[in-house]
Amino acid sequence: MVYFINDIITGALIGLLYALVAMGFVVIYRASKVFNFAQGELVIIGGFIVWFTTMQLGLSLWLSIPLSLVLAGLVGYLIERIFLTKLIGESVFSMVMVTVGLLILLRGVVLLLFGASVRPFPIIFPLKPLFLGDMLIPMNLLIGGIITIVAAVGLSWFFNRTRSGLRMTAVAEDHVVAASMGISVKGSIAFAWILGAILSTIGAMIFLSGKSLTFLASDIGFAALPVALFAGLESIGGLVLAGIIIGVIQSLTTNYLDPIIGGSLGSVVPYIIMLAILLIRPTGLFGWRTIERV
Amino acid sequence: MDPSGIFPTSYRADRRLVRTRWQAVCLALFLVVMLAMPYLVSGRIIAVLNMMLISAVIAVGLQICTGYAGQINLGQAAFMGVGAYTASILASKTGLTFLLTIPLAGFAAALFGFLFGLTATRIKGFYLALTTLAAQFIFHFAVLNLPSSWLGGSNGVTVPAAEIFGLRFVTETQQFYMNLAVAAIMIAGAFGIIRSRFGRAFIAVRDDDVAAGIMGINVAATKANAFLIGAFYAGVGGALWAYMIRFVGVDQFTLFHSIFFVAMIIVGGMGSIVGALVGVFVIRTIQEVIATVGPNIADSVSFLGGDIVFAGMNVILGGVIALFMILEPKGVMHRWNILKSSYRIWPFPY
Repeated sequence: MVYFINDIITGALIGLLYALVAMGFVVIYRASKVFNFAQGELVIIGGFIVWFTTMQLGLSLWLSIPLSLVLAGLVGYLIERIFLTKLIGESVFSMVMVTVGLLILLRGVVLLLFGASVRPFPIIFPLKPLFLGDMLIPMNLLIGGIITIVAAVGLSWFFNRTRSGLRMTAVAEDHVVAASMGISVKGSIAFAWILGAILSTIGAMIFLSGKSLTFLASDIGFAALPVALFAGLESIGGLVLAGIIIGVIQSLTTNYLDPIIGGSLGSVVPYIIMLAILLIRPTGLFGWRTIERV
Repeated sequence: MDPSGIFPTSYRADRRLVRTRWQAVCLALFLVVMLAMPYLVSGRIIAVLNMMLISAVIAVGLQICTGYAGQINLGQAAFMGVGAYTASILASKTGLTFLLTIPLAGFAAALFGFLFGLTATRIKGFYLALTTLAAQFIFHFAVLNLPSSWLGGSNGVTVPAAEIFGLRFVTETQQFYMNLAVAAIMIAGAFGIIRSRFGRAFIAVRDDDVAAGIMGINVAATKANAFLIGAFYAGVGGALWAYMIRFVGVDQFTLFHSIFFVAMIIVGGMGSIVGALVGVFVIRTIQEVIATVGPNIADSVSFLGGDIVFAGMNVILGGVIALFMILEPKGVMHRWNILKSSYRIWPFPY
C-alpha cells in the first residue's frame, strides 16, 4: 500500500515536470498561435547552456542559473527573429513545417557545437530524497513540482488578468485582427519564444539535475505533448491537472501493468491517451472550443 | 500555363500528360538514359540511384497525401516501416514471391495509414500532424515490444533476396532494374490518380474543405483515401527497401526519416509529382555529398568529432525546410513553371 501511494506521488511529480515543459508549448501557442514541435530541442539547448556556464566557465550556481536563463531567453529571441517573424499571417502548414525544420536544425547545431558525448550535469537540487515514513520522494522532482505550480498560477494570472497578457491572447486568436487592433504581433511572438525558452531551461534543470546530459533528453519534449493536448492548448492552469493525471497513469502502468505483459507500455501510454483525446475531444479539458471539424 | 488563345478543344486533349512533341522526346530520352544507367556509371552511383528510386516512390505517396490532399503527414517513415516489415516477414516465413509481397506490403501499410487517416476526418492542421506523430511512436513501440518471434524486436529481420524463375536480385544492377520497374509503375499510377475523379477531389478538399463538401464531395472519405493511397506508396517503397538492404530494423524508420521525406516534397514543390521527384534528387544528392565530404572535414577539423554526417545532414535539411517555407513555400517546381510559361508567351505578359 505504501508503495502504491509512493508510486502515485512520484508519478504526479513527474507529471508536473511534463507540465512544466508543456507550459513552454502552451505559452508559445497562447501568444503566437504557433505550435512548436522543437520544444524538446529547446530543453536540450537549455541543458547545454546550464552545463556550459557551470561546468565549463566554472561559475557558482547563484551566478550561472540567472545567466543561463538570460542566455536561453536570447536563444529564444534569436530563433523568433530569424525564422518566425517572416511567417506572421502565413498558413498553419508553413508554421508547423518551420518548427519541424527547427527540430532537426537545432539538434544538428547542438551536435556540431557540443558533439555527442555524454556529459555530467551539475547538481542543482539536493540529491538526497525526502523520506516520508516509508516513502521516498526525489528532491529535484518535489522542488520542480512546486516551481511548476507557482509558474502555472503566475502565468495563468498574467495571461487571463493583465492587459499585456490579454493582448497576446488576441494574437493567438488571429494575427491579422490583432495587428489591426494595434497590437504588436511581432512583440508578442518574441515574448512568447523568450518565455518558452526560459521555461524549457528550468525544465532541463529539474529533469537533468545530478544526471547525465545526452540527446535522449529531448524525448521529454514529445512526452510533454500529450499533457499539453490533454489540458487543451490554451489553458495554463489546466496543465497542472493534466500533468498529474497523465503522470499517475504512466507511473501505475509502468509499475503494475508492465511486469505482467513484459513490455514497456508505460512509455507509450501517454501517446495512446493523446490519440484518444484527439479522437474524442480535440480541445482537451480546458481548451477553447474553436476546432473546426469538417 | 498556355499562352492566351491556345486551349484544348476536347476533354482528352485537356487531360493529356505529354502536351508537346518536346516533352515526348525528353520523356523518351530520360527513360532510355535511366535504362542504360548501369552501363554509363559506376556501382557507387547505382547504389545512390537505388536509394533515389525507393525514396521517389515514398515521396510521391507523401506528395499525394500532403501536396494534393493537404493532409499533413509526419508518419510516412512509420508507414514505410509497416510495408518493410510485412514484406520481410512474408518473404522469410512463407517464402512468397516478391511479385506478391510487394503489393501485400503496400496493402498492409495502407490499412495502417487508413486507421490514422480516419482521425483526419475529424481534425485538421497541426492536430493532424500530432496524430501522425503518434503513429510514428506507436509503430516504434509495437515493433520493439511485440514478442521477438513475430517482428524480431530490436534485433530486426533478415530478408531473403527477391527471386523469380531462379533469377536472384542480388547485385545492385539487378536491384536497380527491379526498383526502376516498380517506381515507373507507381509514378505512372500517381499521374493517373491525380487527374482522375479522386485527384480532383483531393485538390478541392485541400483548397477549401467546406466548399468541397458543398460541391458534393465526401470530404471525410476523401481525406481517409488520401492517407490510404499515401501509405500504400510508403508500403511499396518499404518493401523495395527491405529487398535492397536485406535487413529490416526499427531504427531505419524514425521521425527523422519522416521529416526527410517532408523536406523532399517541400523542396521540390507541393502539389506536383515531378516536384516530388526533383525534391528526392536534390535531398538525396545533398545527403550523398555530406556522407562523402563529411568524414574528410571531420579529419581536418578535429573538435567536431564523428557525428558530423548526421549533424550536418540535420542542419542542412532543417535549414532547407525553414528557408523554403520562408522564401518559396511552393518549391522549385513553382519557379520552373513560372520560367517556362514566361518563356512560352514571351514577349507578352500573358
